[in-house]
Amino acid sequence: MALNMLMIHPLVLAKLEVGQHLYWQLGGLKLHGQVFLTSWFVIGALLLVSFLATRNIQRIPSGLQNFMEYALEFIRDLAKNQIGEKEYRPWVPFVGTLFLFIFVSNWSGALIPWKLIHLPSGELAAPTNDINTTVALALLTSLAYFYAGFSNRGLGYFAKYIEPTPILLPINILEDFTKPLSLSFRLFGNILADELVVAVLVLLVPLFVPLPVMVLGLFTSAIQALIFATLAAAYIGEAIEGHGGEEHG
Amino acid sequence: MMNFVWLLAVETAEAVEEGGGLFDLDATLPLMAVQFVLLAVALNVLFYKPLGKVLDERDGYISSNQVDAAERLAKAEQIAKQYQQELAETRRQAQAVIAEAQEEAQKIAAQTVATAQQEAQAQREQVQRELDEQKNQAMATLEQQVDGLSQQILDKLLGSLAA
Repeated sequence: MALNMLMIHPLVLAKLEVGQHLYWQLGGLKLHGQVFLTSWFVIGALLLVSFLATRNIQRIPSGLQNFMEYALEFIRDLAKNQIGEKEYRPWVPFVGTLFLFIFVSNWSGALIPWKLIHLPSGELAAPTNDINTTVALALLTSLAYFYAGFSNRGLGYFAKYIEPTPILLPINILEDFTKPLSLSFRLFGNILADELVVAVLVLLVPLFVPLPVMVLGLFTSAIQALIFATLAAAYIGEAIEGHGGEEHG
Repeated sequence: MMNFVWLLAVETAEAVEEGGGLFDLDATLPLMAVQFVLLAVALNVLFYKPLGKVLDERDGYISSNQVDAAERLAKAEQIAKQYQQELAETRRQAQAVIAEAQEEAQKIAAQTVATAQQEAQAQREQVQRELDEQKNQAMATLEQQVDGLSQQILDKLLGSLAA
């Protein structure tokens, strides 16, 4: 059917709409409305599930509580492995929210047929599909590890820039820029590319052929969420324990 | 296909001209960051804290129960050991009592047998004595009669001779 449309209206292809946004004006500021709409959905879903899971807490968990406890233990393990047994507890909310938000965003983009809801401009997709979201998350991660470093080691945190030798100073400074850059672009690129591939395949062959790619997309989405959260935790852990400290086996 | 890629490129280019595009950074970024921080705070109150508390409490509950159970197991084992010891002791005592009783019974039996034998001996001896006495008496009576008879025979012989 889409192929038909391709023949008749070549402009239908434009519905792929890369880089078009639904602009909202807030004062003099421009906002990407479609990102906020889906992110509110994701946030709402997370809050709702958390509320339902903790509404009636039992010592012997069942159902949703059990599932969310599993999720929490997963997040705790992740944070514990990267940050270390002693310091990981205050960072569980940050790392966990990173993981949950990215994961639910990615999967909502892959599983929910957002495109059935028509917007005046742009289209609904995973919030992580927008560079603003991923850069926001990456910058927050940078802030988080700077905060972790300064609060744990004070001004001694600066010592890490000349470790193991002052020659590496430029590279160490550069690292602070490459970390958020790679974090944000990795997530953004993966999710956008996945959605584009699926969209293109659906346009070309609407039946069955896109399915394996969609499944692969689900897998990639989950992995990207895990990678983002793990790297964030690793950066925080590194900032806390210091470069010269013990290396991770 | 080529047509399609070309269209895509055109579309992107147009979007950029309109001020859109893939790398369109604007106020979405800080607002998203604020939103994310708020979400983290809300989830902390709603999810991480209560469920984390439950997890920790359960860990504590399980470990304390385990310690308790281990303690009780140790106590039970100790009691079992004590019981075994008491049992052994009691068995030994019972054995001793039985041995003592047997010894006593044997002693009593031996004594009784000895007494009975003595009595029997005494009775036998008495009977023997009585027998001997009667025999002697009978012998004496017999001798008397022999004497009388021999007198009579003598008298008879002498009488016929005298006559």
